[in-house]
Amino acid sequence: MHDLGRRFTRHRLAIAGGLVSVVLLAGSMSASLIAPYRFEEIDLKNLFKPPSRSHVLGTDELGHDVLTRVLYAGRISLIVGLVATVISTVAGVVIGLLAGYYGGLLDDLLMRVTDVFISVPPIAVMFILAKSLGPGLRSIVVVLCLFGWMGTARLVRGEVLRIKSQDFVEATLALGSSDGRVIARHLIPNTLAPVIVAATLAVGQAILSESTISYFGLGIQPPVPSWGNMLQNAQEYLWTAPWLALYPGFCIFVTVLAFNLLGDGLRDALDPKLKQ
Amino acid sequence: MRRYVLRRVLQMIPLLVGVSLLVFVLLASAPGDPVDMLIRSNPSVTMSDIARLKHLYGLDQPIIVRYAKWLGRTLQGDLGWSLAHQVPVARLVGERLPNSLMLVGTGIVIAILVAIPAGIYSALRQYSVADYLASLGTFVGFSIPVFWFGLIMIYIFAVKLRVLPPGGMREAGAVPGWPATLDYLRHLILPSLVIALYSTAALARYTRSSMLEVIRQDYIRTARAKGLSELRIAGHHALRNAMIPIVTVLALTMPSLFGGAPVTESVFAWPGIGQLLVQSVLVGDYVVAMAVLMMIAALVLAFNLAADIVYGLLDPRIRYA
Repeated sequence: MHDLGRRFTRHRLAIAGGLVSVVLLAGSMSASLIAPYRFEEIDLKNLFKPPSRSHVLGTDELGHDVLTRVLYAGRISLIVGLVATVISTVAGVVIGLLAGYYGGLLDDLLMRVTDVFISVPPIAVMFILAKSLGPGLRSIVVVLCLFGWMGTARLVRGEVLRIKSQDFVEATLALGSSDGRVIARHLIPNTLAPVIVAATLAVGQAILSESTISYFGLGIQPPVPSWGNMLQNAQEYLWTAPWLALYPGFCIFVTVLAFNLLGDGLRDALDPKLKQ
Repeated sequence: MRRYVLRRVLQMIPLLVGVSLLVFVLLASAPGDPVDMLIRSNPSVTMSDIARLKHLYGLDQPIIVRYAKWLGRTLQGDLGWSLAHQVPVARLVGERLPNSLMLVGTGIVIAILVAIPAGIYSALRQYSVADYLASLGTFVGFSIPVFWFGLIMIYIFAVKLRVLPPGGMREAGAVPGWPATLDYLRHLILPSLVIALYSTAALARYTRSSMLEVIRQDYIRTARAKGLSELRIAGHHALRNAMIPIVTVLALTMPSLFGGAPVTESVFAWPGIGQLLVQSVLVGDYVVAMAVLMMIAALVLAFNLAADIVYGLLDPRIRYA
């Protein structure tokens, strides 16, 4: 455990990533406390104001305060990313365990379904699904989960196949343990490390996908802000109000970068075999 | 080898059928079918007209029947008719596919030219400042939202510096010949840089780790012990072996380039199949969306297969049965 902590702290970028994630989480979760305005507040006398003292990040085409909306949007984007990751990770672990442990026909079936989901071009199909479910918070989470479990499932299946063939599992079974006990006591704990790493990286991926879907108008719907939908009209205002494009996108970038660095650091800390 | 390829190609068929079924069901359950799209602009349509039209297009049948009919037509080479553009889908896709291939092709060339030298240098100077910066660069590449990177590039090069066009593929009225070619290339620069970003990051990362793995091998130590120059060791002994997984990764990044095409092409109004796909999904022209999606899926599977085959050809230790 001590060694684990040391390996992680050696990774300065990962530490930075972890710190930034915590700051972002704290900042957006307390959006209602620190935001200078209300996010749905329309101020028609102050449209397209560049950053100034009263509006630190400027205002948009409806006079919304951009800083306020960036903070609230962060809350939505982070919640969507985290919830989608937790659900799709659990689904991936279950599918991977079933396929790897029971093998045979079930394994074949589950892995062919996984192949199909992996072979589908993700962004466009997410657009279609978001459209059929009707845009909104719940459907974006469903979309992200439906196309987010395959990596974890394959990973867990591989790990289970590797562990299952080891002597201690055989011994446990010979001593009369049930399948459930082997899975709960031996397989899950032993696959945990790579799953945690994959999940951390998946948070960034989920936030990227959410922002892309919302950017094309099929995700979170205004007036509720998300970083993606704040950028929806930013392209036409690039000439007159470039700050509208700058800040929300930068938030997505920093958040995803933070989770990616954190995941990479965790990989090195949890699995020294993988270290380059 | 021939039997291996044949088996893999045969395995692709059920996979493609599975993908098409999944996409078809998703599209069929999306609100706003093609008839709704047609009547939106025509207020004089009655309910019985709608029912007749839906019957005419077969939209009143169960999904699985419609899927079977779609599959039958597609296998005969009939991709259908685009209701939004009022042309055959095959012609629409045929017009736009070369544009996408040009964009993706330029993207992959950029990725190779940047990523492979950067990855090799990083590996040879592991833990140097340059290596550190390159690693950070790959993380940046993985973390930037593609559409936002596009917006930033447009802002810098089109809005601020005014040196490149903000989108589109050709200026109206460019003089044919050299000026038109130059104009086309100027339009190509920004979108191809944007589409190359993710692949460049992925490729640089794999090149570095592949190279690092190889330079720890015994035969590199042997080469060094023989007194060969570092340049010859790196270029001749290490790189040739490191290239095997790199070529594979190269084939595997092609799908991500095509997967990224819808977003990049939409941001830059580049008239390729990606932009066509996004527009078709947004307006409900599902016949076109289906055709383009299946084309991209087939390309992805083909490149996966190509990766495996090339791997076997390059690495004599691998034998396919």
